[in-house]
Amino acid sequence: MTVTGIGARELATPAAPAGPEPVRRRRLLPAVLRNPWGRPRFLVLTTWVYIAWALLPVGIAMLFSFNSGRSRSVWQGFSLRWWWTDPSFSVFHDPDYTHALVHSLELAALDMLIATPLGVLLALGLARWRGRGSGAANGLMLVPLVTPEIVMAVSLLVVFTQLAIVPFALIHLGTGAQVVGQVTFSLSYVVVIVRSRLASIGPEYEEAARDLGATPIAALRLVLLPLLLPAILASMLIVFALSIDDFVVTQYMSSNASTTTIPMFLYANARGGTTTPALNALATILVVTTLIGIGVAYLIYTALGRRASTGEVSALRDLSGLETA
Amino acid sequence: MASGEVILRGLTKRFDDQLAVDGIDATINGGEFFSLLGPSGCGKTTTLRMIAGFERPTAGEIVLDGVDVASVPPHERNVHTVFQNYALFPHLNVFDNVAFGLRRRKLAKDEVRRRVQEALALVELHGLANRTPRQLSGGQQQRVALARALVLRPAVLLLDEPLGALDAKIRKQLRVELKALQEEVGITFIFVTHDQEEALSMSDRVAVMNAGRVEQVGSPPEVYEDPATVFVADFLGVSNLMEAEAVGSGRGECMVRVGEFVLRAGCGDTAACGAVKIVARPERLELLSHEDQRENRLPGMVERTVYVGASRQVIVRLPTGAAIQASVTNTGDAEMYRQGKPVSVYVPAGALRVLASGPAGERSDPAVPASEHAEPSGVRS
Ligand SMILES: Nc1ncnc2c1ncn2[C@@H]1O[C@H](COP(=O)(O)OP(=O)(O)OP(=O)(O)O)[C@@H](O)[C@H]1O
Ligand SMILES: [Mg+2]
Repeated sequence: MTVTGIGARELATPAAPAGPEPVRRRRLLPAVLRNPWGRPRFLVLTTWVYIAWALLPVGIAMLFSFNSGRSRSVWQGFSLRWWWTDPSFSVFHDPDYTHALVHSLELAALDMLIATPLGVLLALGLARWRGRGSGAANGLMLVPLVTPEIVMAVSLLVVFTQLAIVPFALIHLGTGAQVVGQVTFSLSYVVVIVRSRLASIGPEYEEAARDLGATPIAALRLVLLPLLLPAILASMLIVFALSIDDFVVTQYMSSNASTTTIPMFLYANARGGTTTPALNALATILVVTTLIGIGVAYLIYTALGRRASTGEVSALRDLSGLETA
Repeated sequence: MASGEVILRGLTKRFDDQLAVDGIDATINGGEFFSLLGPSGCGKTTTLRMIAGFERPTAGEIVLDGVDVASVPPHERNVHTVFQNYALFPHLNVFDNVAFGLRRRKLAKDEVRRRVQEALALVELHGLANRTPRQLSGGQQQRVALARALVLRPAVLLLDEPLGALDAKIRKQLRVELKALQEEVGITFIFVTHDQEEALSMSDRVAVMNAGRVEQVGSPPEVYEDPATVFVADFLGVSNLMEAEAVGSGRGECMVRVGEFVLRAGCGDTAACGAVKIVARPERLELLSHEDQRENRLPGMVERTVYVGASRQVIVRLPTGAAIQASVTNTGDAEMYRQGKPVSVYVPAGALRVLASGPAGERSDPAVPASEHAEPSGVRS
């Protein structure tokens, strides 16, 4: 074989030195763990065990909403009795249940309609604001995200019930206080999502619009808002999910039975001996609406966001992780 | 119709502690292709953004067709921009992108349609009106950006490195097209680039910028052949910049000493004396055999030869330690430029420029009053 022949062969098979070793080494570790190119079976197993551990109880609770008997622990066959067919005790017929459902949806809708536009405005303001204080404001905006919810709830309770000064004195416990409380903590999520999108959009599009003769308002309406749409829709759904499964703030801001929400109802009745699988149905509704909210938000944000630019879904991913954790 | 004349007077921009643009004076004639050329960070974009209205000047005037527009908001200036990454609206298709500005002016539907189609035809994109920007190649996006600005018939078009995002081949092609387009529409183009070849090949005049100041304004041959400052000579291609000492002058010429050799220099600041810098373009030098006895020679040794097809770049090391680069046409006689061979570099007096030394970048042109360059522009933190 010629020298050039060897050179050519080496070029053609660059991976040759990394091929299987003919010399057998002594076995110090089981083959499975020794092979660095093998699948990490142990880690895979651990992951699946954890997932089963975390999801099975919820799955079982959801399954029992379809039990045909009254028991929430002994399976007596499948039925839709607690969902619909029982004319007085199913989740959609028993007035206690339907009231909690309706009130939860009411709060979620109000929270969504108030926190989203407000959050968009704050995010736009924070993005424009340069100079003294802007850095601090940007940082402080994140504080509500990490404030223990119980602390926020108790503080709001004190402020609304003890302080006799405007505006706090105007807010009474009940639906009003619940909406204010929920808006207070969900606003930060909107700001974070919209601001990260705003940062990835950059100032060029708006400048281009201004350059082409658009007034500042027209540039906002015709260019910035359409580009922010995925973030705005995603924010709305996140706010919805946050509101639907919030317990602490909503509980503290409530007044009487008329302001009971799904989580509050679950909390109050979970240990009751007389409770039927309709409660499981209610829990199922909560889980499913939350999952749908976050899932759709994620899809909108990634799908619509990809149309304009790519690669900045992480903020939402972090948030949805934070939220469902 | 507006003529598109732009006059910058003492234009200055300071960001916090950074002086980005440091008192620029320039007159850009109507219908001219004018380039701002300079290294990264020298203030080209900032200057352009002030003309567009995105930055408010710290001081100075921007006079557009006789009116100072320094405090007019961008949407009211008859000046449009082609952004470096085009900034085409991703949620609108090509037609709506181009129509955006026309619709802001509340033109009738038919008029909008007609003018958009005209503009798309001008940049040869008729068939693509319904595509979104993502479905276009870089070169096509660039044309849409051009059409979007030109459709408004601005007095002045600002272009910030419009070819920067394209690959070398399309860039060369678009260079020619852009120049042809400018001649066709007759609008003033202010073109920002850090690519000297781009600036020299397209512009009517070039302003070479350094550290927020304009070092020299002139036609491409002027700035290339007659660099006014050391910076300009150095920035525009290889210029064989060398330290020398002026040892006497007369009759528009000047004797300069390089090491132990004295050369006759025929252009530049021939009245200078003392420490100076001299420059000579590689293509103006000749390589002679070692024994040649002509005047204006510098002996040296061939250090390296780079073959570039039509010519060879020969790098000659002088006894002073400096290296000088000569560009010789390829005659096939490779032996002459073999590595290590002693040669003589002939520097024609007419090709040797004297630039007064001193703070880098200070003007050597005696026509400029001293007050205008009292502060050396090389000072920059
Ligand atoms: N918004 C800003 N805030 C603070 N400093 C800025 C700002 N914009 C530009 N500068 C500074 O001003 C100087 C000039 O910037 P400019 O963008 O005009 O440079 P340039 O010549 O366009 O460079 P390039 O070729 O890299 O685009 C730079 O040092 C830059 O850091
Ligand atoms: Mg720039």
